Amino acid sequence: MSEVKRIIVSEQEKKVTEQKSRRAARSLIKWKPYLFLLPAILLLGVWMYKPLLSTFVLAFQKWSMVPGTEPITVGLDNFIRLFQTKDFIHSIENTIFYTIGILPFSIIIPMLLAVATNGLNGRVKNVYRAMFFIPMILAPVTVGAIWRWLFHPANGLVNLTLQKLGITDGNISFFTDPVYAKWLILFMTGWGLIGFSTIIFSAALTNINRDYFEAAALDGATKWKQLLTITIPLLSPTILFMLTMSILFSSQFTFAYIDILTAGGPFGSSTNIYYEMYKYGFNNLNAGLSSAAATLFFIVFAIIAIGLNLLTKKFAFYDN
Amino acid sequence: MKRIKSITVLQHFLLIMMSIIAIFPLYWMIISSFKNESEIFTSSFIPQAPTWQNYLYAFAEMPIIQMLFNSFVVATLMTILQLATSLLAGYALVRWNFKGKLLIFTLLSLTWLIPFQAVMIPNYVLINQIGLNENPLGIVLPFAASTFAILSIYQSFKSFPTALIDAARLDGESDLGILFRIILPNIRSTVVSLGIILFINAWNEYLWPMLVTKEMENAPIQIGLKSFVNSDVNMWGSLMAATTISCIPILLIYLFLQKHIVDSFVRFGIK
Repeated sequence: MSEVKRIIVSEQEKKVTEQKSRRAARSLIKWKPYLFLLPAILLLGVWMYKPLLSTFVLAFQKWSMVPGTEPITVGLDNFIRLFQTKDFIHSIENTIFYTIGILPFSIIIPMLLAVATNGLNGRVKNVYRAMFFIPMILAPVTVGAIWRWLFHPANGLVNLTLQKLGITDGNISFFTDPVYAKWLILFMTGWGLIGFSTIIFSAALTNINRDYFEAAALDGATKWKQLLTITIPLLSPTILFMLTMSILFSSQFTFAYIDILTAGGPFGSSTNIYYEMYKYGFNNLNAGLSSAAATLFFIVFAIIAIGLNLLTKKFAFYDN
Repeated sequence: MKRIKSITVLQHFLLIMMSIIAIFPLYWMIISSFKNESEIFTSSFIPQAPTWQNYLYAFAEMPIIQMLFNSFVVATLMTILQLATSLLAGYALVRWNFKGKLLIFTLLSLTWLIPFQAVMIPNYVLINQIGLNENPLGIVLPFAASTFAILSIYQSFKSFPTALIDAARLDGESDLGILFRIILPNIRSTVVSLGIILFINAWNEYLWPMLVTKEMENAPIQIGLKSFVNSDVNMWGSLMAATTISCIPILLIYLFLQKHIVDSFVRFGIK
């Protein structure tokens, strides 16, 4: 009797523990996705989102980052100061200059090159691709050092060649000249991007169905007409992708070259908005001013990005 | 027939021009590093009397070996951490439907909008507070999770057949087992390519390492190179020697895995 009872009780206990463990397993399953995402989310939270919020707060404060001191709230002072700073106005102009200036290198020339070289056979194509890609993998410091040497005012290859060809008779100090400095930084950035963009456009082109071109050719469409009516519309997702990349990243691409070659000068003629943020923060130790600029441009770039996203949804033509 | 040929000649002409523009600066860097003191300021395209002198001077001037080692530690650690966090996150995003998934995707995508310059000051303060300045961990930590890596891994996981995952689950395989024993071996080449891109990016990183390390002994090679460039000594031969050394690891990786790298850049885009 008691034996039977014990068995029944132990069976019941077993059931209860089973239920418990099943419930535990179910709640574990519920938590599992978050557990797997935890490291990434935690790291992005600590090193991206939390500091971004701190920057928004710092934009309204004055602080020199000296340990032991506390930031003082100053309201909109930093924003007012920003617009009274001449270099800041310069930097906005240059940011626009670099952003628009990069488009021929990231979209127009690469697209034409990709079209002009479409249909090349595999192995030859790979050799070219391998060479086109080299600027993309080199460090900004490396590229900066080489260009600085190539454009050296007294002994650089460019000055030597220009004089040998009789184009100029004196040395040009490219990086300390307000006109040349920013064009050179633009060209360097373009040089780094052009090969990469060409490869991206070539890859997109090979995915276009060749039948379209054959049909168009049968209908008597010229090459130029094919480009305008078939190629460009079908490449529009790639074009918009590269446009977004260029706008969001051109200031980051130029940052390194500005820092290495001109430090923003001469007279702020080659600086851009991100370089000003860096200068305010780590040269002038003015965390508030830097954060105000960061906040302002975060908003500007967010609006542009939303706009481009809508544009992509509306105009990108997909060949399904 | 003749028309087709002329187009091909034009094509090759364009491509060869582009290739020369792409690799000439690299060529100039290497030959400059072998020119002697009297030849460095001439425009000769091949060194008349090649010398190792510039390399000797560069090694004497900076702790190059130490800095290469630092770069190697930082880049390897960063790559491993970014791959680990993105494999886990990518798996969760593909495998389960859960509350807040959309929010997580939004948070991930929004990080594209946050330039590093917008978070550098708070991060700099934090790294100094926890005492990780002058430390490779301090360089790595803010970059231990990369949205670029997570979304790339997610893309490649998505194409993995779910039937195989379900079969493994019925066999009693755990989630980590599925991730590392079933999925990973099948998409190994994708992960390797991604790892190479991450390594190259980490090796080339310089703004953050510059803020975190002040001492040359703790700095990655890019920082040493930058201070050499800015030091205004007129030693262009040695500077080009140091520059050449700093990109040898990247160029070697590129030489052997070139096709891998180009393909994955095309697939994943840029950081």
